[in-house]
Amino acid sequence: MVLSNEESPIYDIKISSVGPGHISGQDAAQELTGMDLAMKLHYIRTVYYFPAQAFEGLTIIDIKETIFNWLDHAYIPCGRFRKSDSGRPYIKCNDCGVRLIEARCNMGLREWLEPRDHDDDDAKHKLLVSSQVLGPDLFYSPPVLMQLTKFKCGGMAVGLSWAHVLGDAFTAASFINLWGQATRKQYPAQPLRMAHYNNEAQNSKSPIREPLSVKRVGPVGDHWAMKNETNMETYSFYASWAELTRLQSSICGDKDKENQQIPPFESLCTIVWQCVAKIKRDSDVKMVTICKKDSGNSFEGVITNKAQRVKVVKTDVPVVELSPIELGLLIMNQAVDETKIIEEVMDSDNELPDFLVYGTNLTFVDLHDAPIYDLNIRGHEPVYVHCGINNVGDEGVVLVFPSREDHCDGVRVSVTLPENYISDVKSMLKKEWSLCSC
Amino acid sequence: MPQIDSKYVKLAYQYLFNHLPTLILIPVTATASAHLLRLRPDDVITSVQSIHLDRFQILCSVFLIIFISTVYFMSKPRPVYLVDYTCYKPSIMCRVPFSTFMEHSKMNLKDNPKSVEFQMRILERSGLGEETSLPPAIHYIPPNPTMEDARAEAELVIFSVVDDLFARTDLKPKDIDILIVNCSLFSPTPSLTALVVNKYKLRSNVKTYNLSGMGCSAGIISIDLARDLLQVVPNSNAVVISTEIITPNYYKGNERAMLLPNCLFRMGAAAVLLSNKRRESRRAKYKLVHIIRTHKGSDDRAYKCVYQQEDAQGLVGINLSKDLMAIAAEALKSNITTMGPLVLPASEQLLFLLTLIGRKIFNPKWKPYIPDFKLAFEHFCIHAGGRAVIDELQKRLQLSAEHVEASRMTLHRFGNTSSSSLWYELSYIESKGRVKRGDRVWQIAFGSGFKCNSAVWKCNRSIGTPTGGPWEDCIDRYPVHIPEVVKL
Repeated sequence: MVLSNEESPIYDIKISSVGPGHISGQDAAQELTGMDLAMKLHYIRTVYYFPAQAFEGLTIIDIKETIFNWLDHAYIPCGRFRKSDSGRPYIKCNDCGVRLIEARCNMGLREWLEPRDHDDDDAKHKLLVSSQVLGPDLFYSPPVLMQLTKFKCGGMAVGLSWAHVLGDAFTAASFINLWGQATRKQYPAQPLRMAHYNNEAQNSKSPIREPLSVKRVGPVGDHWAMKNETNMETYSFYASWAELTRLQSSICGDKDKENQQIPPFESLCTIVWQCVAKIKRDSDVKMVTICKKDSGNSFEGVITNKAQRVKVVKTDVPVVELSPIELGLLIMNQAVDETKIIEEVMDSDNELPDFLVYGTNLTFVDLHDAPIYDLNIRGHEPVYVHCGINNVGDEGVVLVFPSREDHCDGVRVSVTLPENYISDVKSMLKKEWSLCSC
Repeated sequence: MPQIDSKYVKLAYQYLFNHLPTLILIPVTATASAHLLRLRPDDVITSVQSIHLDRFQILCSVFLIIFISTVYFMSKPRPVYLVDYTCYKPSIMCRVPFSTFMEHSKMNLKDNPKSVEFQMRILERSGLGEETSLPPAIHYIPPNPTMEDARAEAELVIFSVVDDLFARTDLKPKDIDILIVNCSLFSPTPSLTALVVNKYKLRSNVKTYNLSGMGCSAGIISIDLARDLLQVVPNSNAVVISTEIITPNYYKGNERAMLLPNCLFRMGAAAVLLSNKRRESRRAKYKLVHIIRTHKGSDDRAYKCVYQQEDAQGLVGINLSKDLMAIAAEALKSNITTMGPLVLPASEQLLFLLTLIGRKIFNPKWKPYIPDFKLAFEHFCIHAGGRAVIDELQKRLQLSAEHVEASRMTLHRFGNTSSSSLWYELSYIESKGRVKRGDRVWQIAFGSGFKCNSAVWKCNRSIGTPTGGPWEDCIDRYPVHIPEVVKL
């Protein structure tokens, strides 16, 4: 499929809003934590592909009815941003709703998902989800947008655009999974809530150091987005669990040895970090950010950014001189958790700085256990789910999310970098690690 | 102390004049009975026998009595019973909170921030709540409704409300003799009555009438038509459906006087079963007492005050003139002047007459006496045209907050549903358990033309709660306090 400029395969676009069917938010003010505000410039964009049977026989009215019922229990993302007297943004739960975009595609689902040998193959997924950001009219911008694209064969793509200020990718997945339950007339006992905001940072004693994993940008004002200096492109490849085990062992060497085992995600980080470092010879990549889910606390029923730990890994020795196992161990043992520092800096600064988190350094985001395949529409699971994080910094982002391809479970690794590095990374990954998108 | 005295004086005066015939009759009857009791039985028989009438005179007298009775009973109008009625409860997916309406307005009118500002101010002061509904086609940005969308809305609301009516009254489609549908702004061919006949397979000799273009007061006009038909057709059922189809009438321009209806009009419909069958007299909820229609169209100002027209860009909308409230007040005055003698108790009428004579003869500066309509009616259903209309009528008729509660709460929960709003209001009063047997209800509606129409009903039987209907799941939340200005 060649994406020619003349004719887009997506047509018949209609925009409306859907919100809670009953009075739910009652205009309550929902406060945002420091971490929420730190992530405000990023957006999570996930596309779920469903077979024709999932939505068979349902008119758009029927589908909207399920959404109205669902959002009764998830009304916080239906609100809109306001600013308190101090200038701190908060959410007014006014039931305004999520934006719903209906569209049609002139191709069949199978044809659409066929991988093509094109550098930016990932661009096709971007057509199925909105790229709208918050602002410049912040008070009237929806934090969540959904796009329902119907394929020629009857299959459906559900594109969820989720403002990161609401919560991380795990939260976004659990939010939309509630819709799946609503299509089966199951509803949660309690509506989704947000993590409580503790204003502890006001009591901080010593001057806080600047976190290395974030960059101060802006001021962006009410337009919560950053423009990249260079065009970014995304390349993604699939690796089955068997493949990952192979990669693990080739990094760690013999299992019998006393070496610490590098888990699959960290192995992938090692591989990609080394590739990128080798390609960017002039500007050695000495620091990366790792974002992982907090394995300790459970955040069920809560939409939050508190569950994501932002860690930074620094090396003094040039990366190209380190062996994979050394790099892997560095990632495992020398990562510094900066989550608390970021929150403290945000809360102690009355001016509320604008932070760029993803892409300040080469960022690795671990979503390999995100429940994206748990979105079950009337008993049908998605045939494929594609994740993306948009509006990221120039250093790039690597996303690892679960994937099911050729009836095999594994992960898909999506690498977003400035466009001039992408083809080199692609060929190096293929050559040195036999990893390709096919 | 003088205040309490005057209250008792007023009460005594009212009691005296309202029960004057009774008060005169009692002493007369007492005297006659006393006189009769003094006569002995023999005297009574003698006096009866002394009346000599031959057979011919007796026969003539009997025929005369029969003749007069027949003429009397024939000329009495057939009673018209309201057996029951249903109102449309919109689906949750039609809900439009304030915030959504404003956001869509901003996007639809992005080149006209002043018009958006105007709509916001209207909405803040409108008295509408967060649960009013617009049809699915109007939820799109921008709304681009087709005729098919309009028909879909018509089918949705009309079929829903007629199905409910059949369920509540056990009415069979083949038993409908008269069908009247009023919908002002959507008049397709075949008509909406044909839509109902087709869907429910009504009889081929059903009398159908489709009233369009008659505005928000058309609901009462339809009842009036049904009543007149029920005088001519004995032993029949009439179904009246009042609705307004929003889909084709959403104004897409930016002229301020024409944006007002977009802010206030919402989805709604009502279906009413009327009957003149004698056996319905037991289960019917209300009996129709009066209908008073006032048309001010002969005055140019009144004629043009609600006017459908194209704006400068050729977009069609309804223009509401600034004189609307003044004209409504005049129309109301005409209507109640006609209605007064029919419903007011003797005491009020006498006072009004005396004040009128006094003003004409003695001193024109005397304040005109406004009759106390609270003595004539227990319940008031004022068309929920907008907050200003309800405020104006409350002031003019000196009604308490409880009297206008049904109108205000209907405006809050359902918005201005045009001709069906009177039925939502009545349903509110019933759901609150306030309607008792013998209570009189006054429904008053204003509409383009300019018309002011009133209907007076008398409650026929006790109505218990819960009653079902559109207020079923939310009546406990009402009444709510509606602030002057809602912050968006």
